[in-house]
Amino acid sequence: MLGNVAIARGFLEAGLQFAAAYPGTPSTEIVEALSTASRVLGGKPYVEWSTNEKVAVEAALGAAIAGVRAVATMKHVGLNVAADPFFSSAYLGVSGALVIVTADDPWMWSSQNEQDNRWYGLHAYVPVIEPTGAQDAKEAARLALSYSEKYKRPFILRTTTRIAHTRVPVDTGEIPLEKLEPQGEFIKDPSKWTLVPQYARRKRLELLDFWDKVSEELADFPLNSVEGSGDIAVVGVGIGYRYAKEAISMLGAQDKITLFKVSTSVPLPRALAEKISSYDTILVIEEGDPVVEMQLKTVLQELGSRARVYGKHGKPLLPRYGELGLEKVVSALSTVLGIEPPTWAKEPPKPSGQKLPPRPPVLCPGCPYRGFFYALRRAVNKLRLKPVYSGDIGCYSLGVNPPFYVQDTIIEMGGSIGAGNGFSHVLRGDRDIVIAIIGDSTFFHSGVPPLINAVYNKAPLLVIVLDNHTTAMTGHQPHPGTGVLAIGEQVEPMSIESVARGVGVEKVLVADPFDVKDSETKLVEALRYVKENKKPAVLVAKGACILVALRTAAKNGIRPVPYRVNLEKCTGCGICYTAFNCPAIYRRPDGKAEIDPALCTGCGVCAEICPFKAFEPVEEPNPEWFKIMRTARPVY
Amino acid sequence: MSSNTLNLVITGVGGQGQITLARVIAEAALLRGVNAIVAETHGLSQRGGTVIVHVRLGEVEAPLIPPGTADAILAMELIEAARYAYYLRKGSIAVVNDYLVPPPLPKIEVPSRDELLGIVRSYSDRVVLVPATHEALRIGDSRVANMILLGAAIKSNIFKDFIDFSSAEEAIKRVLGRAAKPNIEALHRGADLAK
Ligand code: SF4
Ligand code: SF4
Repeated sequence: MLGNVAIARGFLEAGLQFAAAYPGTPSTEIVEALSTASRVLGGKPYVEWSTNEKVAVEAALGAAIAGVRAVATMKHVGLNVAADPFFSSAYLGVSGALVIVTADDPWMWSSQNEQDNRWYGLHAYVPVIEPTGAQDAKEAARLALSYSEKYKRPFILRTTTRIAHTRVPVDTGEIPLEKLEPQGEFIKDPSKWTLVPQYARRKRLELLDFWDKVSEELADFPLNSVEGSGDIAVVGVGIGYRYAKEAISMLGAQDKITLFKVSTSVPLPRALAEKISSYDTILVIEEGDPVVEMQLKTVLQELGSRARVYGKHGKPLLPRYGELGLEKVVSALSTVLGIEPPTWAKEPPKPSGQKLPPRPPVLCPGCPYRGFFYALRRAVNKLRLKPVYSGDIGCYSLGVNPPFYVQDTIIEMGGSIGAGNGFSHVLRGDRDIVIAIIGDSTFFHSGVPPLINAVYNKAPLLVIVLDNHTTAMTGHQPHPGTGVLAIGEQVEPMSIESVARGVGVEKVLVADPFDVKDSETKLVEALRYVKENKKPAVLVAKGACILVALRTAAKNGIRPVPYRVNLEKCTGCGICYTAFNCPAIYRRPDGKAEIDPALCTGCGVCAEICPFKAFEPVEEPNPEWFKIMRTARPVY
Repeated sequence: MSSNTLNLVITGVGGQGQITLARVIAEAALLRGVNAIVAETHGLSQRGGTVIVHVRLGEVEAPLIPPGTADAILAMELIEAARYAYYLRKGSIAVVNDYLVPPPLPKIEVPSRDELLGIVRSYSDRVVLVPATHEALRIGDSRVANMILLGAAIKSNIFKDFIDFSSAEEAIKRVLGRAAKPNIEALHRGADLAK
């Protein structure tokens, strides 16, 4: 079972009634699994994809205030978006239960930063539960929800990539089906549910009391344990425990070590910290920042202990960036034990010195964005503009790479239009223009408020919404524009064009990204409008994510026909593999183009952009396919 | 590492089915009562980027394989085989799909097939080359290349006692459901190719 699926299962076993999320790696599969469950169980528990993390936490908090067991899940940076209601939730408390899942991403496999969200727990006075692996993730989720219910306070469940995206066998328990139906009830009591100063002050004091109490009681948390009875204390926090355990057995050091398994990293329970401080030598193994190490040192100092604590501070034995690895933990442990680490840990073999070409992720073959970016470059050249491309988070972030270079800044979800506002008011010179590029899901996430700002403050910028009818990057979740709910029910799709018109954008255009000519014409029109009128314009480019289109075609028994190169017509001009850059097309040694049939999706755009008409389908394509390519939406 | 564990690195280009391959292997091991941990990479790596999946079988706790300790690598693509060959230990085996996907970057220098294989050989004593994608295209479905590679790998004995053909077949049925049939055929095709 995937760690994230185990978490979903744990919530269900605890009687979860309400779940809200915005997808983000590595958290997405939790709510995916919950929505599958809900579909099977006839809409229980209630599950939704919210427009952003702030909305998700607000919704879950509302449900929890009404006495429901609720969770909100997100990736680490999502909690920044949701920070405001999150801090308030700690003051308010709940009458049901509220767990906020934060999936941290050490070494930024698919994120803009590396941040350890256990600090949020310390900062907001919200306890943090950290499973030690996918094995006990289910149990940790179940316990987090029931502890939250017991204390009537929000809890954080923190995972990292290697918990979320690791598959291991997991034992399952019963799901109490009768408990999943939300039956909320709101009992009016302003002194309880409104954070006006007179009540908030009182709540601050209650919060501090709770913190002391929970610091004591979490010591007995079922997932905390002590193994062995050696003279050296090793503190394995979260996933750090797994690395510690294997490192100890590799080094045959079982007799020398007492291993503390810590799943309650914030607050580090007082009794546990005291127990650990009776050792002279302590090694703390945790992924991320030295959050437990720091709390432990505070206690040691209060106790006047002179123990040596090894970890990420002082002369660090473990780095404060990236993920843990056995080699890192084995060599840290060897140092503490005073032994020579095995060579593979001391000097891990390096990648071959020979130069290998990098392979950054790229837009898929047949992705609608490729043809559109190609048209965009042409339109900009035609008008001799020097745009600032204000970029955003999504598949189109890949436009940062050659040959397109159409993302000059990437800040956070929704940042493209926001920062575009700033750029558009300060850039001087007539050739400069601001082009904000955002996806459909991101537009609904947080693109609307900055668009309103642009209209109101007359920011001259072109907003391009790349609408592929889904949230593609995280695996095709629905959003308000798709016309479907998390559990598969059909609803009226929300139109991006109408939203744009509704907030007062006067120039709103729609283009077909698979039709390069059409895209170019509309882009020229929109750019001219922005230049001349000094007002914002919105252009929506609509084409299905090719992965969804391929799946839809397969379901309907339609086989897209791959293209091939007519070598007699191909002159080796290279436009297709340098400027257009479809990954299915590469350069033959003689400079002519070749198509890899295993990669080609048969989108046919190469045939439009080749000036010598060298691309042709292998056989007559089914016209249905070209329709599907433009309109397909994921089926849930 | 000890003889009751197997550390396996699976690599390739996003979209070639590495995660499915890893799931089938883990499922096949579990069917025989062997513990399994699979650590996947997600998100951006799905889009034609480089992919590495760590599969650990037997008495293991940690999710990631340290460089220099993998018992075998299963590579769906030649450049990626060369890129991650440094995970291999002495005496390890590399099972490599004889298929090269040049990164779609303008003006990129791509090493030759022989250069790439040379790199893999410098880390591994035994390299088994399998024309998995070519064979898959010949059969008419490029998606089964991963199972062809798996068949070749089982035939090459990299799984010790942990996995055999019958547990692999059963695992394919469990993981792939309705799509199992062509994948099981591909598995056996791979075994023939490794002869
Ligand atoms: S997943 Fe879809 S939207 Fe993303 S790059 Fe691939 S085709 Fe384009
Ligand atoms: S039809 Fe042309 S542009 Fe489309 S995927 Fe195939 S080679 Fe690439």
